Amino acid sequence: MTKVLTIKDLTYKQNRKTILSSVALELDSGKIVGLLGENGAGKTTLMRLITGSAKGKGQITVSGEAETAKRKAHVSFSEQLHGFSTGYKVEQVVKFYQTVYPDFDLSRYQAMAEFLQIDGTKKLAALSKGMKEKVVIALTLARQTDLYLLDEPFSGIDSMSRKRIISSILQWKPDAATILISDHYVTEIAPILDEIVIVKDQGIAVHTGADTIRDEKGLEIEDYYESFYAGGDNHDEI
Amino acid sequence: MKFDDKIPIYYQIKTYLYHAMLTGKLQPGAQLPAVRQLAVDLTVNVNTVQRALAEMITEGTIVSQRGKGNFVTEDQARLAQLKETLVMSQLAQVYRQLHALNLSDTEIVASLQRYIEHREGQVDDKSIND
Repeated sequence: MTKVLTIKDLTYKQNRKTILSSVALELDSGKIVGLLGENGAGKTTLMRLITGSAKGKGQITVSGEAETAKRKAHVSFSEQLHGFSTGYKVEQVVKFYQTVYPDFDLSRYQAMAEFLQIDGTKKLAALSKGMKEKVVIALTLARQTDLYLLDEPFSGIDSMSRKRIISSILQWKPDAATILISDHYVTEIAPILDEIVIVKDQGIAVHTGADTIRDEKGLEIEDYYESFYAGGDNHDEI
Repeated sequence: MKFDDKIPIYYQIKTYLYHAMLTGKLQPGAQLPAVRQLAVDLTVNVNTVQRALAEMITEGTIVSQRGKGNFVTEDQARLAQLKETLVMSQLAQVYRQLHALNLSDTEIVASLQRYIEHREGQVDDKSIND
């Protein structure tokens, strides 16, 4: 299996405080991977480092490209819509994406928008939190890249929207692409994950298969995840 | 479908398909939905569905036809064997639990017979299929 993402010896400091230290991580192509960790553990930071919007020390390669500008083309990150004026209509944002990203597939976006019941004529200011997240997901997945980074797509949205978003991820994920989804509450996405990565103590505490945890430990993913925060010394499984 | 997050998902997918096959929802020779469709329907990962199907193909309960898709086997002997395996594994659980209550084999058989005679209405097999 080919590696879509390779991170070697990655360290990131912010205001002289170490957020991530000597991180190493490899992801195969074609997977759905859960990135778990407490708030502030560095999940978003790790994603921003992968896209190149944050700069750290170390090596990050996406689909064989290490250079930031080239790497960016292979990653689609679930950017929130804060950068757009709230008077903007959804369809104007879509236009913007089409212009900025050559890999943006409009027909894919339209199929997802229909499935997620997105009304393109609405202004951003008029969107509920759940609807905003649906727009973000559709925009992110409409790009044709090798690696998708979804940053907490389910925080604070109702369960119906959540289910729809999960279905759209399963339906429109390209076979060869890998999706990294960060969350601090894993139960709702556990059945769709191939693997989980837990970020803790400035590094990757574990990276393993979801069914491996169920198979070998007879544990729910949520319980397994929580065991890392219960103070146990589980670091032997890296 | 609701999954028990303590049990490997691929295993639960297999159980789900076995029941569909044995209850006639999936007839012998019937084509299974495409892998991605199954994944979306069950809200699970495509790779996990593929793993479940690969194991079933190896077992011979499902037959893969190149370029056409996956089909339930038409081998009646294989299906009968599958049914027997599932019945035995259900019974094994009941047996273990009754044995743990210090019932002898004779008592277990007798209590099962009493249960069948006195049960009200139909056996509720819904819990298995949900």
